[in-house]
Amino acid sequence: MNSLHLETILLDEQNEVSFQELADLSGFSNDELQLLVQSGALIPVSSREDSWFFSSHYVISIRTLSRLKQDFELEPNSLGLMLVFLNRIRTLEYQLNKQNNF
Amino acid sequence: MKFKDYYEILGVSRTATNDEIKKAYRKLAHKFHPDVSKDPAGEEKFKEIGEAYATLKDKEKRTAYDDLGSHLSGEAFNPPPNWAGKQSDRGGQSYSFDDIDLADFFASYSKGNRQTHQQSQPISGQDYELTTQISLEDAYIGSTVELNFTVQEYDNQGQLKQVPHTLKVRLPKGVTNGQKMLLRGKGGTGANNGKNGNLYLNINFIPHRLFRVIDHDLYVDLALTPWEAALGASIKVPTLETEVHLKVPAGVKSGQKLRIAKRGLPKQNQEHGDLFAITKIVVPTTLSDKEQRLFKELAEISTFNPRPF
Repeated sequence: MNSLHLETILLDEQNEVSFQELADLSGFSNDELQLLVQSGALIPVSSREDSWFFSSHYVISIRTLSRLKQDFELEPNSLGLMLVFLNRIRTLEYQLNKQNNF
Repeated sequence: MKFKDYYEILGVSRTATNDEIKKAYRKLAHKFHPDVSKDPAGEEKFKEIGEAYATLKDKEKRTAYDDLGSHLSGEAFNPPPNWAGKQSDRGGQSYSFDDIDLADFFASYSKGNRQTHQQSQPISGQDYELTTQISLEDAYIGSTVELNFTVQEYDNQGQLKQVPHTLKVRLPKGVTNGQKMLLRGKGGTGANNGKNGNLYLNINFIPHRLFRVIDHDLYVDLALTPWEAALGASIKVPTLETEVHLKVPAGVKSGQKLRIAKRGLPKQNQEHGDLFAITKIVVPTTLSDKEQRLFKELAEISTFNPRPF
């Protein structure tokens, strides 16, 4: 049995991940991530010690984007647009779920 | 080893060109990709499609696959003599395929070959995604869940094997329904000093008999009699700890949200969400003689008209 002391993080709007960590978790290269930031699709929440930090909920959409890129062999220029749509879908699904629960 | 007909999975002939294979893959990927498809069986189907494509798009792997010959899908078979030695550069070393999956073989095949040529390149462990269901009460007090899953690991011969894993995970206070958690390094084990994969855990709540959950707020239906709604009342409302008395104001309507502060789920910042009681005015379906008389009397003396027409 493994230890209970695990390095865990909740993926939500409250927690942050660094630029490098987001790159490691997603499989995107630093250049690809940088392009996503420059396109305005990926928005850092803060900048510390010359590094960007992002809301950890991005881990989910960035990983999905990375899978889609790999599985559909997507063009790098389409990735920013796709991330915007993924985040829009996520927001709409959240709102729909909220409405259904209410 | 059990045979999988990769050509059949992609719906192409054994003589298909790379372009035809790519087209077939893309068409099926659009239909079954788990990030696109809502088909619950889509993920498993896409895994098969991806596995077939990964093998057939690679010239070397396709040749190795074709060398296996043609068999029925699911049929147990033995590769031709010296197939392993020829394909994975093991110099004819005796090799057992009994408990090896074809997908695992081809996944490690390219990595294995590269290892021999590129001096044991580090291979990262796979990421895994699991879902756990917990009760609302457990989320409220914090709980530990036991996860049982199978990971792929490389054995000493460089072959991928399925290894059962058990992991106990403490869910921190503040988790809510639909939340995702990242457990760093708890996925598949890396090989050749490669990093371990990560584990992504989806947390879903088991539906509660009373409460509905939105973020850290709880919602409960509060049925009221017509006279409680008209006159106001103090009503006992359950929470996840003890009951509380809720003051219902006179003249409350159906569907109103009455807030009971800080009786929702704990948040990560030590605060709590709220509990909302949603009012619902319920009319008795059967009336005693006396009740009927009193309602008739009320109907005669009341000037209230809820209709704008």
